Amino acid sequence: MIIDINFIGLIIASIMASAVPLILASCGELITERSGVLNLGVEGMMIIGAISGFALMTVTGSLIIAIFGAMLAGVLISTIFAFLTQTLITNHVATGLALTIFGIGISAMIGKNFVGIPGKEFPVLFDGFKDTIPLLGPILFGHSIVFYFAFALPFITSYFLKKTKIGLIVRAVGDSPESASNQGINVRLVRYACILYGGAMSGLAGAYLSMIYTPQWIENMTGGRGWIALALVVFSTWNPIKILIGAMIFGGLTIIQFHMQAIGVRIPVQFLTALPYIVTIIVLVVISRDSRKIRLSTPSSLGKSFYKDN
Amino acid sequence: MITNLKISNVTKIYPGCVANDNVSLEFNSGKIYALLGENGAGKSTLVKILSGVIIPDEGEIYLNKNNLKLNSPSDAKKNDIGMVFQHFNLFETLSVFENLIIDSDEQRESLREKIDSIMKKYNFSIDLDIPVLNLSAGQKQKVEIIRCLIRSPKVLIMDEPTSVLTEQETSELFLSLKKFSEEGILIIYITHKLKEVMQLCDEVAVMRRGKLVSVSEIKNENIESLANKMVGQNLKTIKKKKAKTSSDQLIKITNLSFTSEDPFETNLMDINFSVNRGECLGIAGISGNGQSELFQVLSGEIISEKNSIEFNKNYIGDLNPQERREYLMAFSPEDRLEQAAIPQMKIFENVALNNFKSSNFFNKGLINENKIKEHSKKIISDFNVNTDNIDLKSQFLSGGNLQKLIIGRELITSPDLLICFNPTWGLDVGAINYIHETLIKINEQNKSIILISTDTDELLKLSDKISVIHKGKLSKIMNADEVTSEKLGILMGGAN
Repeated sequence: MIIDINFIGLIIASIMASAVPLILASCGELITERSGVLNLGVEGMMIIGAISGFALMTVTGSLIIAIFGAMLAGVLISTIFAFLTQTLITNHVATGLALTIFGIGISAMIGKNFVGIPGKEFPVLFDGFKDTIPLLGPILFGHSIVFYFAFALPFITSYFLKKTKIGLIVRAVGDSPESASNQGINVRLVRYACILYGGAMSGLAGAYLSMIYTPQWIENMTGGRGWIALALVVFSTWNPIKILIGAMIFGGLTIIQFHMQAIGVRIPVQFLTALPYIVTIIVLVVISRDSRKIRLSTPSSLGKSFYKDN
Repeated sequence: MITNLKISNVTKIYPGCVANDNVSLEFNSGKIYALLGENGAGKSTLVKILSGVIIPDEGEIYLNKNNLKLNSPSDAKKNDIGMVFQHFNLFETLSVFENLIIDSDEQRESLREKIDSIMKKYNFSIDLDIPVLNLSAGQKQKVEIIRCLIRSPKVLIMDEPTSVLTEQETSELFLSLKKFSEEGILIIYITHKLKEVMQLCDEVAVMRRGKLVSVSEIKNENIESLANKMVGQNLKTIKKKKAKTSSDQLIKITNLSFTSEDPFETNLMDINFSVNRGECLGIAGISGNGQSELFQVLSGEIISEKNSIEFNKNYIGDLNPQERREYLMAFSPEDRLEQAAIPQMKIFENVALNNFKSSNFFNKGLINENKIKEHSKKIISDFNVNTDNIDLKSQFLSGGNLQKLIIGRELITSPDLLICFNPTWGLDVGAINYIHETLIKINEQNKSIILISTDTDELLKLSDKISVIHKGKLSKIMNADEVTSEKLGILMGGAN
């Protein structure tokens, strides 16, 4: 059987496209977690972003308003989480789970009127170059702006954390909020900002799904991608570059699943769906063997509430 | 120019406790000031007010006649007040350099130069690019000091700085502090260790229960006078009577080794010693040289070969702590709130954790609360724990009371051997005295002690025999009356 080289390029491009929402949401959650906050509401924020983006696009007709509106919706819903966990000092895990349940519910409610409405076409960049280079052409060209942003984001995130002062402050707060506070850093402010940023990125990830990847609204359309994004953060050991690799693997599993079904290979779909979580557990087991590494890479205060005594 | 720091009528009230009661003090640069007091005397609150961490209810602070409004730690920094806290304010997973640059406005390169010149000047040598968690306590403290020095402070406050340091590190610190003082930095030194005050400081202010009780020059004071001011009563000095030499061997350790998989733990190499009845064996050493591993091996937290530990003619090396307790061993671990007691549990529940077959705390799987409470009350009264509420959560006990409770819990079953690890770490003079008295008493009852401690004075006071642990190896065992603290210091540094 002769396989067209451009066909392979297309498969890789489709894997990358399916990795986009994972990268966006994970990079956002990574910043949140690096500041010591565990927000399990990624799935909820994503689906809110998805419905907000789609609804705004349908109502206003403007893609720009829709994209930024979806990010804003992510910010707004994560503000609830931030207020509860940082101002009212509620438990991170319980609040995050509640956020997800809330998000899925409210998006279904808002989304009722948008079921079955066709989406709009989202403009792609460099479409003309697609056929100029074999293999690489379909990989590099003809994608949406969000796609390119997503693949730049891990590098931007890595630079931000390693090289900038604010990135250093975020890591410091995640390492020891008590020390940071004694150093005069406003821990609550930093954590608020990181949670809101995580919300914006989850919102964008959701909008990508409902506006670009499969341009339509289907109830519960995120389909567990928020959970995979959370698993990815752990998988990456809080390293943005490894998120890129992980997202490609996890995204690849989804795509391979389709192709295998097409070829007729019989692997239960449920197994492939479960695979990202199984891989994450394996990675956790592997890294936890090295106590030093886990100490150095895990934000020490992750998931712990910070009380300022005064 | 002379720096003048004035605290005027400062009061801070917490629910149920007046932490600072109308405190007024004045400091001038060129001298080193001690702020002395027991735990809970209010000295930490006072310095936290000076460093902007706590805002006082009343009172003013003046630096060179300027009224300071210190509402946050950054206000204190802006006003050239530097503070090194008792618990380090460092970010363990960040590199040393990242820790230093985080609150500095300087560029990376110029800051690096500045740090290098500070380190050169004061003879510090620290690798700036490794994570802080790889540093020793003494090095971490130096990082904290450098962090203050970068801002060329007028005032440097040190809160209990030696509690985590070795003797050598302490004397290095004192040299640095004297140098800083000569250069015109006003030094305020907070401690409850009298010896250090006498060694280092020029003037001493003593606090007790939130009140300032005296300000005086060191040359007019001695250790006894300061101790009495601090505690507010005349302390009796305790001395151990020379033990009758017994030859009845209680515990014998033979060729005990332990290899850890964790790179942060110390391997124990070929440990051999024995303790007779009625004897106290002291084990000295700089912290992190295998003491905690040795404690765990002796207590059964780490299981070893059956024959390596012989206790009362039984081989018990492979038994867990619970089983060892049944053979009448008792343990008081170093970390009171993490290892010895569970902070969120009530006093009587913590007592029940030390469960013996013979204690009848549990009946067919049910908790016999009355029995446990009765037992707890006995411990509280026998061991002078200053509370009458056995339903109190253990975390609300002061360090001294918690340690008394733990020692009491261990001793009330009259064990043959008590193994304790830094039993008086961080306690105030009164509590230390009580614990020391208790330990001497059990020796007099012909029971034995293995005392692992980083406090040389304590070891010399309580031990009959002393050995030094260095990098997981024990030195030869010496009679305590032939040993001086200098000799121990040399052995602790690894020399023969």
